[in-house]
Amino acid sequence: MARPTDEQRREMLVDMVTARVQSQRIFNLQRQGRVGTMAPVDGHEATIVGAAHALDTDHDWVLPQYREPIALRRYGPEMLEHVMLYNIGHPAGGHIPAPIRVLPYQISLATQIPHAVGLAWGLTLQDDPGVVLVFFGDGSSSEGDFYEAGNLAGVLGAPVIFLCVNNQWAISTPVHLQTAAESFAAKAAAFGFPGIQIDGNDVDAVYDAVQTARTRALAGKGPTLIEAVVYRLGPHTTADDPTRYVPAEDLEAARRSDPIKRLRTELETAGLWDDDVQAEVEEAALAALDAALEKARSTPLAPDAMLDHCYTTDTQRLARQRAGLLAEAGPGGSAR
Amino acid sequence: MSFVFRLPDIGEGLDEAEIVEWLVRPGETVVRDQPLVEVLTDKASSELPSPVAGVILALGGAEGERLRVGDVLIEIDDGSVDEPGAPHAPRSDSPGSATLPASERPAPEHPAPERPTPELPAPERPLSGARPKASPATRKLAREQSIDLATVTGTGPGGRITAADLDASTTESPAAPAPLPSVDSTLGQIAPGRHPLRGVRGVIARNMVQSWSEIPHIHTFDELDASLLLDLRTRMQDIGRQVTPLAVAIVASCRALRRFPLVNACIESGDDGDEIVVHERVNLGVAVATDDGLIVPVLHDADRLDVFTATAAVAELAERARSGSLAAADHRGATFTVTNYGSLGGRWATPIIPPGQAAILGMGRIADRPVVVDGVVVARPLLPYVIGADHRLVDGDLLEAFKRSIVDDLTEPLRLLVGR
Amino acid sequence: MTELNMLEAINETLHAEMARDDRVVVLGQDIAHNGGVFRATEGLLEKFGERRVVDMPLAEGAIAGASVGLAVAGLVPVAEIQFLGFAYQAMHQIAGQIARLRYRTRGRFDPAITIRAPFGGGVRTPELHSDSLEGQLANVPGLKIVVPATAADAKGLLASSIRDPDPVMFLEPLRGYRGIRDDVPDGEHLVPLGSARTARPGGDAVVIAWSHQVELACRASDRLAEEGLSVRVLDLRCLVPLDLAAIAEAVDACGRVVVTEESPRTGGFGGEVVATIVEESFWSLEAPVVRVSGFDVPYPVGMVEDRYLPDEDRIAAAVRHVLDMA
Repeated sequence: MARPTDEQRREMLVDMVTARVQSQRIFNLQRQGRVGTMAPVDGHEATIVGAAHALDTDHDWVLPQYREPIALRRYGPEMLEHVMLYNIGHPAGGHIPAPIRVLPYQISLATQIPHAVGLAWGLTLQDDPGVVLVFFGDGSSSEGDFYEAGNLAGVLGAPVIFLCVNNQWAISTPVHLQTAAESFAAKAAAFGFPGIQIDGNDVDAVYDAVQTARTRALAGKGPTLIEAVVYRLGPHTTADDPTRYVPAEDLEAARRSDPIKRLRTELETAGLWDDDVQAEVEEAALAALDAALEKARSTPLAPDAMLDHCYTTDTQRLARQRAGLLAEAGPGGSAR
Repeated sequence: MSFVFRLPDIGEGLDEAEIVEWLVRPGETVVRDQPLVEVLTDKASSELPSPVAGVILALGGAEGERLRVGDVLIEIDDGSVDEPGAPHAPRSDSPGSATLPASERPAPEHPAPERPTPELPAPERPLSGARPKASPATRKLAREQSIDLATVTGTGPGGRITAADLDASTTESPAAPAPLPSVDSTLGQIAPGRHPLRGVRGVIARNMVQSWSEIPHIHTFDELDASLLLDLRTRMQDIGRQVTPLAVAIVASCRALRRFPLVNACIESGDDGDEIVVHERVNLGVAVATDDGLIVPVLHDADRLDVFTATAAVAELAERARSGSLAAADHRGATFTVTNYGSLGGRWATPIIPPGQAAILGMGRIADRPVVVDGVVVARPLLPYVIGADHRLVDGDLLEAFKRSIVDDLTEPLRLLVGR
Repeated sequence: MTELNMLEAINETLHAEMARDDRVVVLGQDIAHNGGVFRATEGLLEKFGERRVVDMPLAEGAIAGASVGLAVAGLVPVAEIQFLGFAYQAMHQIAGQIARLRYRTRGRFDPAITIRAPFGGGVRTPELHSDSLEGQLANVPGLKIVVPATAADAKGLLASSIRDPDPVMFLEPLRGYRGIRDDVPDGEHLVPLGSARTARPGGDAVVIAWSHQVELACRASDRLAEEGLSVRVLDLRCLVPLDLAAIAEAVDACGRVVVTEESPRTGGFGGEVVATIVEESFWSLEAPVVRVSGFDVPYPVGMVEDRYLPDEDRIAAAVRHVLDMA
């Protein structure tokens, strides 16, 4: 079993606390009308952070869905800038600068899974020593793309780690209505590679599972499906009211298994964490977020920016539309 | 000094919310993200956290009240300084209202806008020379009138041929004022039988009917002593200058039209009834005899001309008319017409006022006639003339005064040379 | 110059582009060991090996989705969808992902993806094998749509498509695979995307067409020439980007236009061509633009296929109509 060191675990808790606090602040920003719909990370931190720490950020790609980016601090401070730009709805929010090996938010559920397989395959074709880890939820595993991609990955033996974050709910659909399979991990049998189910709230378990899968992949032994079992502690997104369908007692029980509380208790016991450290980390997290928000809000936006990057160069039609849009904006035009 | 927190859309397309419970009171100090109020939408009940730290100034509504998105929810004194001229607007921010400076990349040079809104049709390309441009409707008209578009000059945008251009190309004179003697052997030649009334003849006929049926004509006839007029012509020729009687008549007419603007007008039917349209400019239609008959090109802003420039302008116009190089614009816009049928012979006539005008001056041939001067019959060169006028606009006294003005100037043309 | 049919031209181009650029990877169903069900990819596996020429499981979504990943990795995937009608199984990846990769990531990645697919009728295929989807695809910003009508253009346009950093739907006419033969330039031959060509000169009217309809339009025009009519045929070659200048020039010169396509009429790309003509060349029109097209029903079964498809007779009748001779 691959165990993270104490230092790594401490780092992971910093990342988890940071993610939680920042996610909650972004949630508030939505309630204040300053960002659009967002998906809070509460309850998923150990899975995301544990996985990220088991990867080599220089070589390994992460393909998120839309809950993970806030917790991918390990891939660099640019991730927070990307998150804020995306959440205020700025076009630049889709750009994660090279060489960061993360793809932007994916709204079309499960479409990133075949991307991950193709990417992993592409890495091997270029003898690039990296693996691809793709996040998706229990709900996404019902999409055709999951099965097509899983099947293809098995055939290709591509170095991809399928990380299914089973948080029990796909908006209001509980897992027992999502699949009749024994588990999501069991679906790997259809693809011809191993599937394992782990406690997603245990960073050590996550770290170990991802490390193991990574080693397998790099040794040419192919993909792994990891099902990380967690509980969604917050709403699906800011537009959701879970009190309508989540049994209160289940939520209560889940809160008692809050991954942050769990790791914090362990680290405090080991003398590696205390209230001061907690306060420091929270304060730093909020300061970083405020700075990223400010930077995002002052990111320039040309009136014709929305026409950029559709093609490498404008088609004739698009060039005329651009001229018309600029003319509409007027000289020194400001974005509408 | 105060931060205005307006009710945001917290649920993807909601437009109002009900205040369920206030969690703070005016005067209370709050910290950032502290829950301020619980609101209820048709999706969920939510607590709204404070965007700023400060002291609550005012609540935007009572519990149970419904607010619309954008209404003031709460005002908080956050200790910031008012920005002059923009007390609240920059502070109550939302994703959609940000006005962000500069450019995500080097600012474009603001290429000259080709059109004001995205992708209106491209500005018309000029005629490439191959085929004439015209709308399908115009083409249909041209086909019906057997007009070859290649022979028509287009005055629309990009050189496009318009229906009016078709009219102008076919119209020799909007209302041919008088029967014309002509040495052309085709004059009046046509085979027995029925012929469709269309093309040039059809346009002329239409215009004649319009004038005849819409304009109640009165005509006044007389002769004036052209001695000084001819004398002026001779004396100018002696010093190498050209002044024709027609040119003098043109200048005289312009002066009279400026003196009596009601004659430089016409009556038009509009949606709200008939209107007297008083023309701003004085554009003179001048009848010119050509091998193909009489045409009436237009001298625009003829009131700028003096007798010398008028002489030259008429000559140039006549030359272009005879060589067939008049443009459609040269046929349009006349506010008054002068027809010198006398140059072809003829003494009296009843010229028909073209549509869009209120009067016409016709001049017959100058000839020696017996007149009585100081009780003795002598021969004097007399210029017979007629002035036709739209009796809706021009009563007898106005006609007389108008006529008097022209006649005085023609009788003593030196008045025109000193009058400018 | 060598006389080739379209299939041979396509095969030759795939060989050339794979040799030229190591990053080119060819993927699809039955394309490796079988050389493609039409033999378009014949010989590639033998020459370039199984790392670069890959038989994919029967999953169009995975073919298209994996292409995204390959492009992110910096490769140049040339994927085959066995018949264009089966692109429906991959639309969420084509329209939702491939077309948007550059736009979403603000240009970080080059989605240098070419998807080849045969389409079009006249060969008695089963359901969905002949459907024309180019009108639907043209409405997806971010894609380029290429529709060669000759073997020479199949070569030149495919080479350009593979080298283009933007995603290209390269649509090959089934009837043209063996049915169209012409002189193909030897060696490197590139036809830029977005330039139409005059397939047949003329001045009384112009037929605007693409893919296999170009051949039929030319035949119809040859027949009309015997009656003294001079009919131009404009081969669009590329629907996106569209050669606006070529369309304007042809309409300005001729004034009478027929647009022909196999697609059902409603929502077909022909409507886009007509709208473009109205916007750009209205003042040159002598007559309304006439469309010849498939009927507004799903592509029919073999027994009635010939009655469905626009043919020389229908094109000629349309030309006569715009010349007011009908």
